Amino acid sequence: MYSFLRLSVLLVGLVVSAGSYAVKAAQPLTTADDLGPNVEQPFEFPHDRHAGDAADGGMEINCMYCHTYARRSIVAGIPPVQKCIGCHQNIESVREAPRIKKLFEYWDAKKAIPWKKVHDLPDFVRFNHERHIQRFVFAQGKPVQEACGYCHGDVKKMTVARRQKPLSMGWCRSCHMKDHRIDATSTKTSQGPNDCWQCHK
Amino acid sequence: MARSQDKDFQEVSAMIENGFNRRNFLKVLGWGGATVALSGCGNTSVEDGREFVTSYAETADYIIPSIGTYFNSTCAQCDAGCGIMGRVREGRVLKLEGNPESPINNGKMCGLGQAGVQAHYNPDRIREPLLRNGDRGEAITWEKALELINEKVGSVNPENVAFLTGVVSGHVKALLNNYLDALGSGHHYVYEAVAPSVVRASNKKAYGVEMPRLSLDKAKVIVSFGADFLGAWVSPVHFSQQYARFRKPDNGERGVLVQVESKMTLTGANADRWLAIRPGTEGILALGLINSLAAAGLPVSEDVAAAVGEYTSDRVSKDTGVSAEHIGKLAALLKERSPSLVIAGSAAEGYAHGSQNAAAIALLNQVLGNVGQTVEAPSSVPFPQMAPSTGNSFALQSLSDDMAQDKVKVLFSYGANPVFTAPAFFKLKENLKKVPFKVVFAHYMDETAVEADLVLPLNSALEDWATLMPEYIAEGAQLNIRQPLMEKMYPGTLGVGDILLAMLKQRRPDEYNDYEDFYSYLRSAMVSNKDALGGADEDDDTFWETALSHGVVKLVGEPVDMTGSMSAAALVVPAPFAEDATYPLHLIPAVSASMRDGRNANEPWLQESPDPLTTIVWDSWVEMHPKTAAKLGIVEGDIVEVASKSGAIKAQAYLFPGIHPDVVSVPLGYGHEAMGRYAKGVGANAFSILDPVFDNETGELAMHETRVKVTKAGQRVIIVKDEGPAGGSQMGRRIALRIPSNKVNLSEEV
Repeated sequence: MYSFLRLSVLLVGLVVSAGSYAVKAAQPLTTADDLGPNVEQPFEFPHDRHAGDAADGGMEINCMYCHTYARRSIVAGIPPVQKCIGCHQNIESVREAPRIKKLFEYWDAKKAIPWKKVHDLPDFVRFNHERHIQRFVFAQGKPVQEACGYCHGDVKKMTVARRQKPLSMGWCRSCHMKDHRIDATSTKTSQGPNDCWQCHK
Repeated sequence: MARSQDKDFQEVSAMIENGFNRRNFLKVLGWGGATVALSGCGNTSVEDGREFVTSYAETADYIIPSIGTYFNSTCAQCDAGCGIMGRVREGRVLKLEGNPESPINNGKMCGLGQAGVQAHYNPDRIREPLLRNGDRGEAITWEKALELINEKVGSVNPENVAFLTGVVSGHVKALLNNYLDALGSGHHYVYEAVAPSVVRASNKKAYGVEMPRLSLDKAKVIVSFGADFLGAWVSPVHFSQQYARFRKPDNGERGVLVQVESKMTLTGANADRWLAIRPGTEGILALGLINSLAAAGLPVSEDVAAAVGEYTSDRVSKDTGVSAEHIGKLAALLKERSPSLVIAGSAAEGYAHGSQNAAAIALLNQVLGNVGQTVEAPSSVPFPQMAPSTGNSFALQSLSDDMAQDKVKVLFSYGANPVFTAPAFFKLKENLKKVPFKVVFAHYMDETAVEADLVLPLNSALEDWATLMPEYIAEGAQLNIRQPLMEKMYPGTLGVGDILLAMLKQRRPDEYNDYEDFYSYLRSAMVSNKDALGGADEDDDTFWETALSHGVVKLVGEPVDMTGSMSAAALVVPAPFAEDATYPLHLIPAVSASMRDGRNANEPWLQESPDPLTTIVWDSWVEMHPKTAAKLGIVEGDIVEVASKSGAIKAQAYLFPGIHPDVVSVPLGYGHEAMGRYAKGVGANAFSILDPVFDNETGELAMHETRVKVTKAGQRVIIVKDEGPAGGSQMGRRIALRIPSNKVNLSEEV
C-alpha cells in the first residue's frame, strides 16, 4: 500500500518536473555571447538617437536625464511619460512619426507605457544603482555612459535595449575582485564588497 | 510545480489519516523535495522580458521608486486610536509605524497594530456587495444595494429601523446621527463585547467623568485590581510609556506595582507583587485596605470609617485569600508613598456586584487623596457631536430583546460581530432571524455577515477616510485623521462614510447632494470649521494639507469638572461566593493583547504571535492551577471540557501557577465558525458559555460570573507553544535559572 503510494508520488513528481523543465528550456535565457533575449516593447525606443554620439546623429543626452533615480535609489527608474512629453511637445519635426504618435496616445490617455523589464535579477539579489553611480560617476568621475555600460553594455548604439552581460554572481564578483580607485585623484584603491549579505539580504 | 506540491500534499494528508508512520512520511517528503529541485529555477536572469517595469504617466516630485514615503493615519485594530505612519512604496503600503505626533502613542505601536497590514491585504476580504439568495450570497452592484436599502427603509415604520455599531466617533458618527435623525428613529445600539463599561459608570458616579485621565507616571505606587493596562486595557500603548516613566522616573524612586487579580495578566507578570485573590472579592480587599490605612493613622471621614469598620485584616484575609501579612504590607506601602494610584480593571467589574467593587476601589483612591493628583480631569471636547459613543453589552441585550419582540424590521450592523461575541443564552442568532432585512457592513464574511440579507463590503482602514476621537486622550483633546495610504485593493468596496453619505442622499438630497463622496464631505466639514480646529490663520488648502500631513488635529479643551459624589454608607460589598458543588470553578474569559474580542482573529500574525504568558499559538487553551489539575487528574495537553449552565466548550489544558486554584481561564477571540481561513475553526469560543448574570446597577453582562466544571474529554495533544527550555531541560547549561515559587519572597522587594 505505502510503496504504491510512494511510487505514485515519485512518478507524478518526475513527470511534472520534467514538464516544467521542458517549458523553461524552450527559450535559452543566456546565449553563448551573453546576449539576453530580444524583449518586445510596446513601441521601439531609440536609445541611439537619444544617447548616441553626435557624429552618429545622436543627442548625447546623459543617461541620468531620463533614468533619474539611478543616483538616488536602488533602482534606476523608467522615466514617466511626462518626461518624454516635456521635450517632445516642442519637437514638431518628428511629431507625426509613428512612435511619437504612439507616445502621445499614451499621454493623452494619461496611461503609463507598459515597458517590459530587460535587466532583471532574482528576488534574492539586491543590486543598488545608487552605490555604483555614486562611486564611479561622482567619486571617480567616470563618464556616465561608461559607468552604466559596465553592466548595461553600449546602450547608446542600441535602439531597444537588450541585455549584454550575464549578470550572474560570478560575473559580479569578477568586477568586485578588481582594485578600483577610491576617487578621481587618489592612488588608493579598494575592492567591491565580498560579503554574502551585501547582495543577499 | 504548484500542482505537484498540491498532489504531494494530498497524498501525504491521505497517508496521515491512514496512520502513516514517520519514516514513510520522511521518505515521501524527500521525494517531494527532489522533484522541487529538478524543476526549480536555475538562471539568474529569471524573468527577462516577462515582467513589467514600474512606470508612471506622471509622478509626484517626492516619489522615488524603491524609497518609502510615509503618510500619517489612525490605527483601526482596537479603539485606543493610536496615530500610525504607513510606509508606502510604489503605491503599496508595506509597514506601519507609530506617529510621533500623536500624544496617545508618541510614535510607538503594539503588535496588534502592526498586524493592521494583514487586515488590509487579507485574502478573505469581501469584494462586492452580496445579496442573500437562499443560502448563497449573490454579487450585486452598489446602485442596486443602495436602492434596496432605500426601498426597505422606506417601507417600514422608522421606529423599526435599528443601527447596531461598535464605538463610533468623528464625522462618521455625525453622519450616522444625521441619518437616524432624517429617519426620525433613535435606535442606535452601541455595543462593545469587551469594554470597561461598569468601571465607566462607577467612575461617572465617583469622579463625575466616565474615563478620568490616569497619571501612572506621577504615582509612586500603583495597585491595579485586574486592569491589564500593559496588555489590553483601554489604551495599552499609552499606559506602557507612562509605566516606563513610573518605573524609571527622571528623579525620585522607582514606582512599585502591585497587581491584584485571580488570573495573571501581562501587567500582573510585570508587577513587583502579584496577589492571587479569590474571584469577586476585590471590593472587600479595597475596603480592608481603607480599614488598615485608617488604623495606621490615615485620616478618613467618619462615615468611611464606619463603613469599613468591620473589614478587619483577619476577616478580609479570610474572604479574599490574601494573607494578612500582605494586606498589612500593602497598606503600609500605600501610606508611606503618596501619591499612589488604584485602578479598577475588568477583573473587578466582571461580577454581579461589579459596580460595588469598582465603587470600593474608587473610594480607596479618594481616601488616599489620589483624585486630582493621579486621577485627573480629562479635557472637554469642543465638538460633542463627534465625541465617541462608547458601547456596552447592555445595548446588545436591549437590541436582542427588541428583535425577539419583532420591533426591528430593518437592522444595520457596523463594527460589531454580535453573533460571535454574544453568549449563547442571548439566542441572538434566532432573534436575528426575526428581522426581515439585515444589512451588515463587513470586511469579512464573519458570523454576523453570514446571517445577513445584504452584506456591504467595507474599505480596509488603510484605504478609507475618517476622523476619529478616541475615548482616552492623553493630553488636551484631539481629532485623529484616517486617510488612505494606498489605492483601494478592490474596486467593489466602499468606506462606511461613503455608504452613510449615499444613504443620507436618499433622505436629505438637498443637504447632501453637493458632496460627491465622503472625502469631499469630510474636507468641507473640516475646512468650514477650521477656526475651531486650530487653523484660523491658514487658508483652506494649507489647513487641510497640514491636518493630513500631521494625521492628528489637536484641539483646545478645558479640563472638565470632576465633581463626583461618593457615599461610603451606601456601599455594600457582598460576602464572597458560596461554593457550588456542581460547578466548582470560576471561569475567567481572558482578554489577550492580540486577540481581544476576536475581531482581528483572521490576521495570521496575531494567531502566530505567542500569548505572552503561556506562549501558546494558533489555539485556545484552558489555563488552570497545577494543584487544581492534579486534583482532577489533568496534565498539560489533555483535552478538557469546560461546562457551564449555559454550554460547554473543549480545549487543551495548560497548567500555569499564575492563576487562583479556584479559577480556570479561557482566552476570548478564538473559536470562529466563519470569518476567514485563519480564524475559522481555530480554538473554542469562550463567549458562548457565559452565564446570564448581570451587574446589579448597570445591567452589564458580568463576564467573570460564570461557574464551570472541568472534565477530561479523553484525548491528549501536544500543545503548540514557543515555551523553550526555561521550564524544561536546559541540557545542563544554566540558561534560565529557576527557584521554586515557595522560596521566592517578593515582599522583600516591595
